Order: sequence, then structure tokens, then C-alpha cells
Amino acid sequence: MADNPFPLDTEGLLQAYRTMRTIREFEDRLHTNFATGEIPGFVHLYAGEEAAAAGIMMHLRREDRIASTHRGHGHCIAKGVDPKAMMKEIYGKVGGSCAGKGGSMHIAELDAGMMGANGILGAGAPLACGAGLAAKHRGQGDVALSFVGDGASNQGTFLESLNLAAVWNLPTIFVVENNGYAESTSRNYAVAVDSYVDRAAGFGLPGITVDGTDFFAVYEAAGEIIDRARHGGGPSLLECEMVRFYGHFEGDAQTYRADGEVADLRENRDCIKSFRSKVEGAGVISADRLDQIDGEVIALIDEAVAEAKAAPEPDLSELLTDVYVSY
Amino acid sequence: MVGLIANPVSARDIRRVISNASSLQVADRANIVLRAATALGATGIDKIYAMPDKKGIQALVQRGLERERNMGHRLPHVEFLDMSITSTVDDTHRAVDLLAELGVDAIIVLGGDGTHRAVVSRCATIPIVGISTGTNNAYPEMRESTVSGLAAGLYSSGAVPGSVAVTDNKLLEVSVNGGELTDLALVDVVASTDRYVGARALWRTESIAEIFVTFADPEAVGMSAVAGVLEPISRAERYGLHVRLGPGGRRVKAAIGPGMLSSLDVESWARLLPDQPMKVTPEAGTLALDGERELELKPGDEVALRLRPSGFVSIDVGRTVRWAAKEGIFIDS
Repeated sequence: MADNPFPLDTEGLLQAYRTMRTIREFEDRLHTNFATGEIPGFVHLYAGEEAAAAGIMMHLRREDRIASTHRGHGHCIAKGVDPKAMMKEIYGKVGGSCAGKGGSMHIAELDAGMMGANGILGAGAPLACGAGLAAKHRGQGDVALSFVGDGASNQGTFLESLNLAAVWNLPTIFVVENNGYAESTSRNYAVAVDSYVDRAAGFGLPGITVDGTDFFAVYEAAGEIIDRARHGGGPSLLECEMVRFYGHFEGDAQTYRADGEVADLRENRDCIKSFRSKVEGAGVISADRLDQIDGEVIALIDEAVAEAKAAPEPDLSELLTDVYVSY
Repeated sequence: MVGLIANPVSARDIRRVISNASSLQVADRANIVLRAATALGATGIDKIYAMPDKKGIQALVQRGLERERNMGHRLPHVEFLDMSITSTVDDTHRAVDLLAELGVDAIIVLGGDGTHRAVVSRCATIPIVGISTGTNNAYPEMRESTVSGLAAGLYSSGAVPGSVAVTDNKLLEVSVNGGELTDLALVDVVASTDRYVGARALWRTESIAEIFVTFADPEAVGMSAVAGVLEPISRAERYGLHVRLGPGGRRVKAAIGPGMLSSLDVESWARLLPDQPMKVTPEAGTLALDGERELELKPGDEVALRLRPSGFVSIDVGRTVRWAAKEGIFIDS
């Protein structure tokens, strides 16, 4: 194998690939299985956006906290939540990340630093400010990240959080995952600025834009802003320009998209294809090794689905447990 | 007639986080356009053709023009080109094509080195007037847009002849595998041993193998500054500079970006002669053009460069307005 001209060693590259492939396989399988009616509730799939979750989360420690969105499966997997527990959660079964009572939009695992997917748009940003404040007081260099879509970036909670993070100089990073659509509303219709960097500048914090379909672009940029936050440099905004392979939710007819748009994205802006092409082309990792990971990932998701289907539903007696906290 | 390409999204890269680089907001870019338009109007230009964008400069410029007209101020009519908008560099390419078809006399360009490069890559024969709104900005000089607008207007209206206003500029032609892929740079080409474009900007110097510049200016920021601290070469001289990095030579300190002073080990440097083909090191994994990593190379790719002394034309703003002043063009009575 050739010398490695990438910013990660071979193990790191393999880990990044495995994370992205696990997310893709997880989401593709949900796409197929949701259509059968066996999954309760709504699911919003992250397929096409994997490079952002993987490129960012590669820099995080377990103690770092993230606040996710309604489209949170990719964030969960990349942050280290067990895909099998996630699958059970989405199927509403015992053994799920939240005992099978939350579903897709409420997957949380605090031990992994995953504060939760969130069905309320823009609600993650204040949580990340809280986690950032706690991290600042603990003084151990931990950071907090909030993910938000281009649509939810218009919410007051998000904009107020930018201000709060700036005035308190929190180790909080705001990731705008710009896939071009707020549900079905084009970003160009609903966002008054051409760039989220302008929004960040309005609150006195730096912002940058990267190609969110290029793992290495995200990895490099995220590394700098996370390192800055760990060392007292304060908050930043990272806009990842990305693409969504499926609809806003499963069942979305996507009449707002142009003919051939998704096919073109899958052909030309697939972050996993691009990653494979780079590392294989440079002679650093063989196609066989990556294919082997593909096989392992497929087997993992096969098991996750089989176990989720086989698991029992929560008992009725658990209906009100985990709902209220007694102090 | 004057054309206008204003990039609403330059200055958005990682240098804002790592070195406090500026982030010129869209409202400021629109004001720059309005000031240039005011100056163009003062020289008798009554129409500007401009590149459209989505929610950025166009909307604010139109609002500003309406405000100025309400107050009775005379500004040229700004017609936004009829074209689809992708919010990518393709918009710049398409707009330049349309401006060339319309036969504009000059194109005012707002952006950084990358935007200017995108314009020149499409048309090198219409003189450009560069206004710096990007990050590194080795090519466009920092200059008030009112004066740039004046120069463009003086040339377009015929008040100042092309023999005075228009000047040749050097550029670097890049060819991969004997022409399989071609590109160009206005200021610098950098060969890096990294094999990914990543976050695009150049700030880690350890992977830089070679630097080629059209001019070497210690007053610039970016790779031109690295060459400039070794051997200053002006924009007007017919040669450039080729710098090889590596141990065993000199260690230099240069502003490789805004707020970024770096030390680099320079193995050797030599003048880059016009029209002489040069081979880039086979160790190159990516090529950065005008400060941004652009081309990812495969092992075995062969890259050749050539310095073109008359690569594209621009308006020499200082020379144009000084000539106009000497001719008394600004004296009304």
C-alpha cells in the first residue's frame, strides 16, 4: 500500500468508512422496512448526509455532548450509540435506546454524550448551550455541538443560542446541515441570507462553509473549530452543504424536487462513493478491505432488524415510567 | 456598457476560524456595488449588466437603487442577466459568457482570487476591474470601489483610451496528463503532497512541496508573499518565481494568509520564464490554484505548468484615473 496522504491513519480511515456505511445501511433498511408498515411513527432518514456526522464526530470524545434533530440516526451512530438498540427503539421494542418508548425522534444515550434526537425543530441549540456551559465550568476541555437543519436555523431558539454562546464564550459549536430543503420548502425561499456565515457574523462568532458531501472537508474544518472550542476559543458555526437522498420523511412524495434531481445527486454527490474513490485511488486501502466492511455492516444491520422484530413490545405497566423525574 | 460579477459567497472558508479573517457580509457587498454604480453613472455609463444571485446581493442592490432613485440620485440602470442560478461557480461562468455575448467593454469583479480566476477562465479578452471582497486577495488590490467604478466608466465611455487603461496580466496555465485536464491560476499554483482538497484553504505548510507564482509580492498575503520575501517580482515583469520547499536551504517567514505568519523551509527558488513548460513534482497529490486546493491528482498523473505573460487583460485603475486627471477630465469648469 502507498504512503498515506490523508489526515487520518489507515485505522481512522477505516473507522470513518465503517461509520458512514453503517449509517447508510441503517437508513436504507429503514426505507425498505418502513414501507411495509411494520415501523410505528415517523422516520426521517440521513442517507446522503453521512460525511457530516462522521467527519465531525471523529473528533469528539465520549464526554462531548451533542444535541441532534428529527433526522438524528446518523448523529447517533457516529457518536457511538449502539445501532441494535437504535433499531429496537425505532421498532418500539424492549431493549431500545429509550426502552422502546421514544421512537426515531427521541433516541438518546447520555452515556455516549448523545442528548437526544429532537422532534422540536431548533430545540437542540439551547441544550447545547447548557451542555457547553457545564463543560466550561468543569474545565476539562469538553465541547457541545448542536445540529440544526437549514429550515430550523430560522427558529428563534437557534438565533438566541448563537447570541448566548457568543456572550458567554461557550465551547458550543453550531452545525447547520444545509440539505437545501426545510421539509419541502426550498432554502432559497425561506432563508434571507445567501450564507449562514453572515448569520454567525451578526452574532459575533466565526462561521465557515464546507462541502458536506466531502468527508475530508468536513473532517478538516470540524477539527479546527472543535480544537478552538476545547481551548477557550469559543463558539463557531459550521455550515455543511449537503444532499438528502430520501424525502423529508418516509412517505414524502417529493413533488417539490426536480425530475432526476435525486438520481443526479446519487450519481455525482454521494459522499461514500467519493470517499472510496479517494482512498482507493491513492492506493491506501484496497477495494477488498472496504468491501469486507460493507459485508460486516450488512450483517450487523441484518441482526439489528431481526432482533428488533423479535423483541417484545414494552409492557403496559411501563407506560408512565421514565416520563417524570423525581428530584 | 459595463458588466458586473459580484460573488455573494466568497470569504466563507476556514480562515475565519483559524486566523480571524474577515467575513464581508452581503449588505456590505451590495453597498460596494452601489458605490461603483454611482461612479459609473458619473462617467456617463447608463447601463450595467449584472450576475443575478438568489437572496444575496441582487435583492439589496435593487432596494438600494430604488432608494437612490426616490431621492433623485442618478444611477445607471442595473439589468440582472436572465440565467438560472445554481449558487456555485457555474453562475460566474455563465454570467461571463452572457456578458461577452452582450459585448460589454469591461467587467467589474467583486470577490477574492478565486472569483477573479473563475471570470478569467471563461474570458481573458474583456478587461476586468477587480474589487477585493475575498480572503487572500493577492490578485485584486485593496481599493475603494468608487475609484474602481470611475476607472471602468472612464474606459467604457471612451474618455480614457485602451492604450492607457488596459494592461496585460500574467497567468499560469496548468495541464494534467498532456491536456486531459486544464486549468489556470492568476497568482499562484501550489503542489501539495496531500491527496484531498478537504477544507480547500491552504494553511498547513508542511505538505507544500512547490510554489509557482506569477508575481512575488511581500505586500500580499498568500503564496505570493512567500515568493515575495525571497525575490520580489512585480506584476509587470515578464517572469514569475518557482519555489521548492524542503530542508537544506533557507527558512523564511511570510504571511501565508490573513493573520497567519508561517515559517517555511525553502530548498531553492528560481525565476519562472515566460512560455517555458515546467513539470510539477510527481509527489504532488493536490494542486491549489490561487490559494485553494482545487485538483486532486491520482498517483502517476503528470502535471505541467506554463507562465503566460499576456494571459488576460485588466484595467489599471491607478493609471487610468491619473491619466484622466492630467487630461483635466474631472475639471468641470
